[in-house]
Amino acid sequence: AQTKWDMPTAYPPSNYHTENIAQFVADLDAATGGKLKITVHNNASLFKANEIKRAVQSNQAQIGEILISAYANEDPLFGLDSVPFLATSYADAEKLWKASRKALDEHFAKQGLKVLYAVPWPPQGIYSNKPLNTIADMKGLKMRTYNPATSRIAELAGAQPVTIQAAELAQAMATGAVNANMTSAATGYDSKAWEQVKYFYDAQAWVPKNVVFVNQKAFDALDKAQQDAVLKAAAAAESRGWKLSEEKAKWYLDQLKKNGMTVAPPSPTFTADLKKVGETMTSEWVKQAGPEGQAIVDAYKKM
Amino acid sequence: MRRALDALYAAAAYLAALLLIGTLMMILLGIFGRLLDFQVRGSDAYAGYLMAGSGFLALAHTLKRGEHIRVSVVSRLLEGHAHKLLELIAIGIAVLLAIVLAWFSVRLAWLSFTLHDISTGNDATPLWLPETGMALGTVIFALAMIDEFQLEVRGRRVEPKHDAEPLHIE
Amino acid sequence: MDLVVTVTLIAGLFILLGAGVWIGLALLGVAWMAMEVFSPRSAGDAMALTIWGTTSSWTLTALPLFVWMGEILFRTRLSEDMFRGLAPWLERVPGRLLHTNIIGCTIFAAVSGSSAATCATIGKMTLPELKNRGYPEEITVGTLAGAGTLGLLIPPSIIMIVYGISANVSIAQLFIAGVLPGLLLALMFSGYIVIWALFNRGKIPIIAEHTTLLQKIHASRYLIPVVLLIALVLGSIYTGLATATEAAAFGVVGALAISGAQGSLNWQTFRDSLLGGTRLYCMIALILAGAAFLTLAMGYLGLPRRLAEWIGGLGLSKFALLAALAVFYIILGCFLDGISMVVLTMGVVLPTVQKAGIDLLWFGIFIVLVVEMAQITPPVGFNLFVLQGMTRREITWIARQAFPMFLLMIAATVIVYVFPDLVGYLPQHMRTG
Ligand code: NA
Ligand code: NA
Repeated sequence: AQTKWDMPTAYPPSNYHTENIAQFVADLDAATGGKLKITVHNNASLFKANEIKRAVQSNQAQIGEILISAYANEDPLFGLDSVPFLATSYADAEKLWKASRKALDEHFAKQGLKVLYAVPWPPQGIYSNKPLNTIADMKGLKMRTYNPATSRIAELAGAQPVTIQAAELAQAMATGAVNANMTSAATGYDSKAWEQVKYFYDAQAWVPKNVVFVNQKAFDALDKAQQDAVLKAAAAAESRGWKLSEEKAKWYLDQLKKNGMTVAPPSPTFTADLKKVGETMTSEWVKQAGPEGQAIVDAYKKM
Repeated sequence: MRRALDALYAAAAYLAALLLIGTLMMILLGIFGRLLDFQVRGSDAYAGYLMAGSGFLALAHTLKRGEHIRVSVVSRLLEGHAHKLLELIAIGIAVLLAIVLAWFSVRLAWLSFTLHDISTGNDATPLWLPETGMALGTVIFALAMIDEFQLEVRGRRVEPKHDAEPLHIE
Repeated sequence: MDLVVTVTLIAGLFILLGAGVWIGLALLGVAWMAMEVFSPRSAGDAMALTIWGTTSSWTLTALPLFVWMGEILFRTRLSEDMFRGLAPWLERVPGRLLHTNIIGCTIFAAVSGSSAATCATIGKMTLPELKNRGYPEEITVGTLAGAGTLGLLIPPSIIMIVYGISANVSIAQLFIAGVLPGLLLALMFSGYIVIWALFNRGKIPIIAEHTTLLQKIHASRYLIPVVLLIALVLGSIYTGLATATEAAAFGVVGALAISGAQGSLNWQTFRDSLLGGTRLYCMIALILAGAAFLTLAMGYLGLPRRLAEWIGGLGLSKFALLAALAVFYIILGCFLDGISMVVLTMGVVLPTVQKAGIDLLWFGIFIVLVVEMAQITPPVGFNLFVLQGMTRREITWIARQAFPMFLLMIAATVIVYVFPDLVGYLPQHMRTG
């Protein structure tokens, strides 16, 4: 018999995460001879971004994609990849992912979920309407924050954390209600950041990831051959996604430049200042996550 | 019983009105926070929760005031028994749907509680808390709908006059 | 199969509505049937999750606040003053004060991103005043239903944000692109009033004498409070003090200030306006909840998606494709609200549209126009619901009065197709400038 899964995701069809998922679904369709059909509901058309995990947990959808760090409030482990300056390059991000995968699998399993694969976003940088040479220049900047971690960064950097919804960010940047924002070159490209701000500092603060996961019961209901096909297609999607992300990261930076933005790495002093913020936040994270968190960070640093 | 029910609807409505003021306050906090350099973490999320609570808690009162809209083209053509029968069918269906809505709203808050569902935003609120407003409001709404049904059965339901004083919501 | 499902669901909706089930609950009932009967998923938990998500969404907060603001202003002399100030200027224009609906909505559209809020706020001020002055409700309600939709075309606009993110089109450019088509549509509504007034001379109240220019200017002092209020709300947006959503909060504060300054603010009026606003919002919220669940059910069933795929597969020419899409969205718009229409279909429609060589910025304005039509087509049209709540008239009657506005919107869509510069000129000018 044919199995049908619904897959809510939050990003538009043109996003590379969505394209990668389309390929994953097509691979699975071919591998199972059409026995496992996944309908992708992208662009938050079925469930909104922050409803997707809950929807898969309660089997309203069987498989889904989330930005894992968005769930840091629920479990510090989910916020590991957004601890600033812990893992900043793609290579480091991959190590961190490997170091934390087992623990993450266990935490998901406790909620009746199974992790299939993860794909990174480009590294996070700082958008600003004025040049930033040292961390002192961030004083008084109104920086958009959307969760406790980003609020903490703003506090430690001396910026003023400001509440603005994503939908109104562009307008708020244009009118000066917000004049700094930490996100990736990809998000800046999608929102046409050059229409509002001049500077992008490629601080490579952290490399957030989208995780694709499945309801364990739905997975168990598949026969062995289909389960293997899912895992195989997931592994392929993961390696494809990492490569895609890295290629795109460069392309996005070029696009920001091409549209007239000043794109640069932060100055050495600014980088050193930011690293200090990162160290504070890493130790704060370890305190929250306990011995398990400490073990993951240690294992990562040894890699 | 009658007085207890009416008091319940009214109490929920006054609470709903307070929550609307709360919504306004949260948004003003967000604006003045940016202006005066302070941040009430999650004021945006609280505004949303308060608004939701306001909408749901006012359901019963709004129903009793006849301000939830419906189509009465057909029922106006009917008189006597036929009219009453159609009313009973419509309110009966509404009773079922209102109970369904209340049941699953309570379940939503309950599941959020057992799953430890937490807001992903700056507020990090355990979601069962604000969802209780929805649960409470829809339960009172279901109660009010059942109330309407039994009044209609006993022929005591006073239909809000549709043509009297249009435009005067108050 | 799709046809059977569609026919069953539409029949189900008409039966529930016709029986007199409250509209929000009727939508909920049809969505429930759609999921339980025609999809393998169970409805209950998904329903609650979606309704919670929609009704607690921050971007919606502007709606109850603007509704409340309307209730406060309704209890002041503001609308009376506004009419006193505008009447001398409009006395030689056929239709006279009927144009206040259009003027009011056009200005308020620059403040509010939603059609329902525009309709409710302006209606709360103009409808009673126009009725008192003897203008017939058949024309006041119809034009208000149409003009309220300008809230979507004139920036800021929630639907443009949704489309811009889906289609990767600059939201700022979409906003600018909406200005000229919005003004065009406002002019067309006013033109309709002029023509209607010329054919229905007897229905327009007679005025005793004409005023001189000096008298006109003198009477304009009555407009000061309303101008101040608009300046406060608009100013807060464009100076960066508040976002478009937050500006509603300034609207409430400003309305309270006006009420206080005019001496109409007391415990009684405050309580009445607060409870009145809560109830009017509650009425809309119940329908929004039902509509959100219906959207979810449609997402699971995939009906809109398959229909859009089918149109995409026809291989139509540019004009034929747009005509087909217009019909598609008009039909969809009878049953779904605008934002749902956009998110449910964009993934499928956009590639087809791009392949046909249609500019995505222009297509955004096309989408806003068809979404505007959806606001006034029965059975699911939010402006119709708002007006039913305010006038206590039957929705069928309101829809009939709004029908000419629907035709005007179609005409506007055709004009925008023939003169694409109406959309493109301002954004291009902004790019180079
Ligand atoms: Na607008
Ligand atoms: Na409609």
